[in-house]
Amino acid sequence: MGKYGTFHAIRMKKYGTNIVCGVSKGRHDKYENIPILNSVEEAVSKYNADTSIVFVPAIYAKGAILESIDAGIEKIIVITEHIPQYDMLYLCHVARKKGARIIGPNCPGLILPGVSKIGIMPEGAFVPGNIAVISKSGTLMYEVSNYLSLYSTGIKVAIGLGGDPISGTSIAEAFDWLIDNKVAKVRIIGELGGNEEIEGIKHALNMGYSGEIKVFLAGRMAPKGKRMGHAGAIVRGYIGSVDYKENELRKLGVAVAKTIPELI
Amino acid sequence: MVEIHHGPATVTGDEICKMPLIFIGKAQKVERSGSRETCLYLLGLLNLLGGMRRYFIVGGGLMKLHEFVGKSILRTYGIPVPKSFFVREGETVEKKILPCVLKSQVLVGSRMKNGGVLFANTDKEFDLHLRTLLERKIRGETPYGVLVEEKISVKHEHYISLVLDRDEKDLVLIYSCDGGVNVESSQNFIKAKFDDVLNEIDPNMANIATTLKRIALEKDVTLLEINPLGESESGEFVALDAVFHLDDSALYRQPWAKKFLKKNPHSFHYLKLDGDIGVIGCGAGIVMATMDTVEHFGGKPADFLDLGGGASEATTLAALKTLKNDGIRKIVMNIFGGITKCDETAKAIVNFKRENPDYDLYVRITGTNEEEAKRILKENHISFYDDMYSVIKDAVVGDVR
Repeated sequence: MGKYGTFHAIRMKKYGTNIVCGVSKGRHDKYENIPILNSVEEAVSKYNADTSIVFVPAIYAKGAILESIDAGIEKIIVITEHIPQYDMLYLCHVARKKGARIIGPNCPGLILPGVSKIGIMPEGAFVPGNIAVISKSGTLMYEVSNYLSLYSTGIKVAIGLGGDPISGTSIAEAFDWLIDNKVAKVRIIGELGGNEEIEGIKHALNMGYSGEIKVFLAGRMAPKGKRMGHAGAIVRGYIGSVDYKENELRKLGVAVAKTIPELI
Repeated sequence: MVEIHHGPATVTGDEICKMPLIFIGKAQKVERSGSRETCLYLLGLLNLLGGMRRYFIVGGGLMKLHEFVGKSILRTYGIPVPKSFFVREGETVEKKILPCVLKSQVLVGSRMKNGGVLFANTDKEFDLHLRTLLERKIRGETPYGVLVEEKISVKHEHYISLVLDRDEKDLVLIYSCDGGVNVESSQNFIKAKFDDVLNEIDPNMANIATTLKRIALEKDVTLLEINPLGESESGEFVALDAVFHLDDSALYRQPWAKKFLKKNPHSFHYLKLDGDIGVIGCGAGIVMATMDTVEHFGGKPADFLDLGGGASEATTLAALKTLKNDGIRKIVMNIFGGITKCDETAKAIVNFKRENPDYDLYVRITGTNEEEAKRILKENHISFYDDMYSVIKDAVVGDVR
């Protein structure tokens, strides 16, 4: 609950989110009617907290997230960026073992428009509706949601997964929630590198998801041909490129939008 | 965190080389030509696309380490490397190694093919080649120094690398018996989660792999490639090259690496490209999408510039000036502010336009403090757009302004 955390806690609370308290080491007071406690364990025992949003600086994030997991928090949304990758590797492993879900890091959070916001996204871009947006990029999530809010049927939920290499929740895992909640329209925002979009959609199709999936990929124009290290010479820049992903997704029967308006 | 299985190898390196391409891991099936591309991609984890993405995305960035740094780490962990010494510009050489290999310490690839590796057998050759390499730029990069190594002959060259793989969300081990310059055309390699591969390789190779993993975890190294890993007649290994990528988010706890960090002169991420349409945005995703859209309308982006979230007026102004100094004459600013305050952006634009009235700025402003931003721009007769596609289209296809 530093400066950043308090600023957003107030905004989330105003939006309608059930913020029960904040946690900050060495504090036991209130900030604008939000109680501030000393530990997550206290938050859980006193207020039955089941979700936490983490703003602590990267060097303390591992400890903070572990504290949440140990206290039994089920969903941990990590806004913090620059968390070391091996810290995230360890945290994902622990979370998996303890049945906790981490979203992020380096993500804007998630929002159910008109209901609740656990994150830092600009609320104006999200009009309540029936489309789910799952995105790795924060700003593109705003852009796409804004478009869908203005020109399409609005947003049911927008989930920012974050752009870090080692991330708590993948596109495939986000899809599980959509399937459970019978969301009929999904827009996936991905980018060059990795195969998460392809794997995520394959997973959804294997689970029998029959809703409308559209994908937008950023980084189409990445200049090819540069190499790093010896083995880098092998790939002429195709695998992992947006062109490659587009072709693979087309084979799966999934529409890939070349521009954001096509996602409407 | 993960269990390490040690046991007798079920196949030797030689036998593996005779096998068709095998994937070990989730799929557990033998794949042929299609999978070769995927496997090549894994080796190509080092390629620009992965690297560029990391370069651009704040958080999850990587820092490349020079070969001599990587080799010194290998040495301290007990993996043999050639006898060597390192020379920087202005330093004198006490004792030469002859015959030797002189290797330019640059971070670009393909050193050999670009004159970055020379051999010396005599004193004269040594002096000449050292001087040459200290002064020679390799593919535009000035060397940090020159690594001088004893020349070693090996019986066989292996390939081994360890990668913190984003798709597996785990450490991945890649091994091939066709190490060296020919690894690229090899049909034979194994790639899978670290533990899965460990059982399938020679126990001596497995020991090396286990050491590499220790290095990776203790030093926050997200990519560690040894190609070639030489094997002598007597079966001893020696690392003949070393490519190390450090997770730059972990720099705070790896102080030894800080002296190699190239300081970013800007408070934003900037990459100059060929093209004439300048691009500025707040957030790597939106910047990439803006660049894609420029190309979509037939233009060529001149750069990638990510202000990040919450950029101040000063930072934004500095970004505009940077593009101007690099000769870019038309700039698209695509600002969708979440944390970013649009009025700060607007003030920077007004400031810049005041000093550069003839500059073609195409501005889109949406988000936090949007109303105030628009008021500021209107007051200063600067036009703006609400929609990214219109602003980019006009910038590229261009009307007369």
